[in-house]
Formats: sequence, C-alpha cells, structure tokens
Amino acid sequence: MVKEKISCWQGSKILYNLCMGKVVVVRRDGDPTTDRLSAEGYRPLVASGLKALSGEADVTSAIRRYIPAGVIGMKINGLTSKLNSTPVALTEVLSSVLEQAGTEDNDIVIWERTNRELVEAGFTLNASSFGRRCLGTDTDGVGYGRRFYSSGEVSSLLSRVLTDVVDYNMNLPVLKDHSIAGLSAGLKNMFGAINNPNKYHDNNCDPYCGEVNNLGPIRSRNRLTIIDATRVQYQGGPGYMAGYMARYGGLVISDDPVAADRVGLEVLERLRLENGLPTLEDAGRPAKYLRSAEALGLGTADFSRISLTVLFVNAEGGIREGELFG
Amino acid sequence: MNRRTFLRMAGCSAAAGVMSHTDMLPEVLGGIQNACAFDYTDKLSEVEARYYRRLDGGGIECELCPRHCRITDLERGYCGVRENRGDVYYTLVYGLPCSLNIDPIEKKPLFHFLPGTTAFSLATAGCNVNCKFCQNWEISQSRPEQTNNLDFGPEAIVRMCRARSVPSIAYTYSEPVVFFEYMYDTAVMGREQSIKSVVITGGYIEEKPLADLLSVVDAIKVDLKAIREDYYREVVRGELKPVLDRLVQMRKSGVWLEIVYLVVPTLNDSEADFRDLSVWIKNYLGTDVPVHFTRFHPQYLLQNLPVTPQRTLETAHRIAKAEGLEYVYLGNLPGHPFESTYCPGCNEPLIERRGYRIHRNVVSDARCPKCNRQIPGVF
Repeated sequence: MVKEKISCWQGSKILYNLCMGKVVVVRRDGDPTTDRLSAEGYRPLVASGLKALSGEADVTSAIRRYIPAGVIGMKINGLTSKLNSTPVALTEVLSSVLEQAGTEDNDIVIWERTNRELVEAGFTLNASSFGRRCLGTDTDGVGYGRRFYSSGEVSSLLSRVLTDVVDYNMNLPVLKDHSIAGLSAGLKNMFGAINNPNKYHDNNCDPYCGEVNNLGPIRSRNRLTIIDATRVQYQGGPGYMAGYMARYGGLVISDDPVAADRVGLEVLERLRLENGLPTLEDAGRPAKYLRSAEALGLGTADFSRISLTVLFVNAEGGIREGELFG
Repeated sequence: MNRRTFLRMAGCSAAAGVMSHTDMLPEVLGGIQNACAFDYTDKLSEVEARYYRRLDGGGIECELCPRHCRITDLERGYCGVRENRGDVYYTLVYGLPCSLNIDPIEKKPLFHFLPGTTAFSLATAGCNVNCKFCQNWEISQSRPEQTNNLDFGPEAIVRMCRARSVPSIAYTYSEPVVFFEYMYDTAVMGREQSIKSVVITGGYIEEKPLADLLSVVDAIKVDLKAIREDYYREVVRGELKPVLDRLVQMRKSGVWLEIVYLVVPTLNDSEADFRDLSVWIKNYLGTDVPVHFTRFHPQYLLQNLPVTPQRTLETAHRIAKAEGLEYVYLGNLPGHPFESTYCPGCNEPLIERRGYRIHRNVVSDARCPKCNRQIPGVF
C-alpha cells in the first residue's frame, strides 16, 4: 500500500538517493612525513580502501567488484616526472592485487600520453607480450584512433591504449591545483587520453572535463578512480612547485569519478585555507566542471549527497574511522 | 624498435605514406638526393618563443595571437606547439615540418602572385583555432608528438628552393602563425637568396608580430571564414574582429593580399553573408583585392553537410561583382570560367586557368594587353 502512495517525484528522489556517490578516503595514521610512500606504505591503504568501498572481506574480491577479468589499464598522471607524478609504488600495489585476483601480468597496462613522461616518472617501458605492460600512446603502432568521439563541445581522437588495448581502466591521478581548471584530479587526468587536450582549457575547462569523460570509451571503461592525495600540491599546479606541497597522507577511492573529484576538491580547498590562500573560486579558477559532469550523469558533485567514509590506518595495520581533516 | 627505426626498415616510400601530408616527400626530396637521407625525428625543438611576457606570481602570457593564453609551467597554449618550461616559453616545432610539398602557387590560392610558378610549401603541427571544416585537421589539430616530423631548418628549406629553382616558400596547410619563429627566420634567409615568402593564414594574430612578419614576406592569403562573429565563435573557435583588423593592417602594408571565403552550406552561404562580406572588403580593403569563393567538401567535424552547390558559389560571385569587387574567383570548381582572370576594364580574359594549371597568360608588364589597364599583383 505504501508503494501506491509514492508519487513520481518521490520515486525519482528515491532513485536519486540510491545513486548517491560513495567515496572512501583512507589515510595514514600518525605519519607526518611528506616523503613518498613505498609499496609497503601503500599496500594497507589500498586494501583497506577497496574493502571499505566494496564491503567485501578481502581485497581481491573487492577489486573484482569494480574491475572484471580482462585487460586492465591504469592511466597515470606523468606530467611532473618523479617530483609529483602518480607513484610507481601505487601501481605496483594495485598490480599485485589484480594478479592475486587472477589477472595475468601481461593483462595489466600502465599508460600515459608519452613514453617520455612514463620514463621520467620512474616507470619502465614494456610493450612486449611478457610481464606487466607500460606504454605511452606514442608507442610505435599505438597512437590515436581514426574515429572522432564527440560529447557536447568536445570532439577528439582517443588513445588506442584505451580503445584497442584495455577492456577496463583505473584512473590514477594525483591531487593538485591546476592554474586553469582549479582542480586536477580524476576527470582532468583523462585529458591525457585525447589527442587535443590543448583545445579544451577555456572557461576553467568547463564543461570540457565532463565532456571528455563522457566520451563513449572513456565512460564505459573507467571503473575506478584512485586519487593519490598522499602529498598534495595545493597551489602552483599543474607543474611542480616544492613550496606548495603538503602532506595529506591519503587515497581517495571511488567508482564514482565525479564524487571522487568532489572529495578531492574538499581536501584541496582545506589545504589552501590552512596555508592562507583564497578559495579556488576567489582565485578565479573554480572547479565548476564538476557540476557539468554531474549534469552529464557521470556522478555526484553535490558534497551533501556523497556517502563518505574516512579511515585511518596505522603502521600496525589498525584501522579507525575518522574525519576528512584532523 | 622505435618509430624512426621502423620507418627506415619500412623504406622511404612506405614511410612517406604514414601521414597523408608526407605523401609527396620522396618526390620532393628525391630531386636533391636520396630521400632516405632525410630522417624523421622524435625530438621537439627548444627554441625560445617570441611574443610573450612573464606574469607576476608565475606563468607566462602568450602575445602572439589574440587568445593571449596564460600558461603555467609544463602547459601549452591552445595551439599545442608552444610550451612553458620554467616560465620560459618555447616553440616546439622550430625546423620540424610535418608536411613538405612543391605546389603550384595557384593551389594556395594566389592568383595574382607569380602565376604559373611553384611554391615550396611547408607546415608544422598545430593551429590556434579549431575550424570544424578543416581539411588538414590531421596536422593542424595535432600536437607535434603526433605527427611525423623532419629535421629541416630554415637553411635546408632555402637550399632546397635554390636547388630546385623554386621562387617562393609557402607557409601553409596548418596555421603558420603558430610556427612564427620558424617562418620568420626562413623568410629572412629566403629573402637574402631572392626567394619570396607567402603566408597562408587565418589571420588570427596580434598586431606586433604581424607587423614584424609583414616586413619579411611578400604575399599573404587570408582565409576569412565568415563575416559574422557567431560563426567564428561556434564554427572556427576564434574571433572575427581581430582578423578584420589584421586584414586592414596587411592591406596598408603593401604586401600582396588575397582572400579566400570557404562557402559552407547552411552556415555562411546566405546572400546577406556574401553582400556583407563584399561591402566590408570594398570599404576597408578596396575593390582590387582578389576574393576567392571556394567550394566546401565534407571534412573533419562537418561530415554531415553537403558539398557546396555550384549555384551558391555563382550567387556569391554575382553579389561580389555587383558590389564592385573587381577580381572575384570561384575555387574547387575545376574548369569553371570564374577560375580565370578577366580585365575589369574590358572583360578581356587575361589568365585562363583550369584547376591549378594556367593555359594562357597574356598579362604583360602587369597590364591588360587590350585596354592597357594595370592589373594589381606581382607578375
């Protein structure tokens, strides 16, 4: 009888609430260093984060909730060499989790725009049929496809790593300030999958960040966003500026790319505030593309509608719930 | 195996076929020496760009084109070929053409500039607009990492022109404004060797760099893509006003100028468009500037539109002539009588063309042989 009383509006609202983005932030407990984490440092964060996001008891089941068997890409951000690119250690941990879950090592593909960026970020190139693969779109025989994919104002060719090599993709950006977009995290990182990113930086990259992520192969293949926020450059990005690096000690993990970025934005804004800087909006670069991305149905940009879990993991493996800050 | 090794192993002919814009490469280069001596390079140039300023608080502002991109460290401008590295702005394509051909000058098209000659034509990757109809989008909308580039500096270009007796160099195909430094230095070096330079451009450039460029080149053909701002905003991703201002600047400079207007069905093909364009040219540039109305073919992001009907082009011609323009041509219509030049005084056929070929040229000392009227241009 109750069901009969639900109006269309109420029905829509229920669906709306059911679709709210779920995000897990998992942080190191009591670790003040701004040094990069080793694989051993990342391992408990990845395991705890994925298990909390999925509700699974073990990490291999957890990752399989989001990444089915197949060829799995990891799109890194390699803009700033070893200084502030996606760490090799994080990809090693994720690769080993995938391998434990049954993925062949050669079915793991770490990728970025160019081989040069990968090498400078500390990765070892491997386009062979043996071992984990690591390749730039500019690898011989790869390049960009010949078909234009369009969404709104965006029309681009896509990296054939994404369209022809991998079945699913994990987006592994680093959290940082961006001089135009305001926020550089997961959505912005996928500019590295298109042939013409320079065309889509007007108007604080809005609505382009959303539209790039709405391109068919990107939207369908991206299954998980893991933002490295262990060290955050809160000003002066996307290039590296040592004076604006802060420790946050966490990963932001979600299968909702917009919600992941929205939580990342919260962290970035807080670090800016703590360091006496204006908000991104006051600095003239609001991350307004998040709203546009939400309007495209890519995920949740409204922070109040994000189901956020924050975990702290200590050196002994102990876990406690906590707040985004503190 | 890297790309270079692959291309060597595949042989030069196959290598040249990798990019459509390098199809002519062995033919062009083969006359000088074995084309295999020319190698693609994966390197980008690190030549400091001109026309930029450093910003307080970091970053630079590019002052080459009206976009005035503000670019922080490791980022590039809209063109994709100029990059900020530690607040020093670099051109990444200096001496790195991705397209080389020897073309008839009529292909540019320049109809009043050394008719019947050839132009050594070159382009690099990149463009500062993003026209939905671009016929060279494979290079213009690419970054230099995405094209096959040759290591071919200004000296090599000039040397090749002299060896092949090519009288001019054309900076064309993509948008030469974005490889300004390479173009400028090549033009200077060419002029020292009596080789002329012609620029095929959208004219989306700032006043100062254009003034500098006009001092070293001999002719400019501008693609005036529409006479409406909304078209520039939506179809071109640029602005009309700066282009009109630069056209006036070009005209005043005395450098030879011709204009192309690509007629795109339903988008810029109304009679009002043709009339507004013709009136503006008459009022601000003069009636003796050659204007080419050219036929659109579906390309790039405008695959949904038909080829421009011949009748539409003839309407454009009729309106432009009625408004008083004296040299009005139709392009991409091989064999049409309006490909040819007629004397505005006596209507005598002066230069008869079919496609890019000239079948008859009776212009003598830049004058009509029948009525002795002076014909503008460089003959």
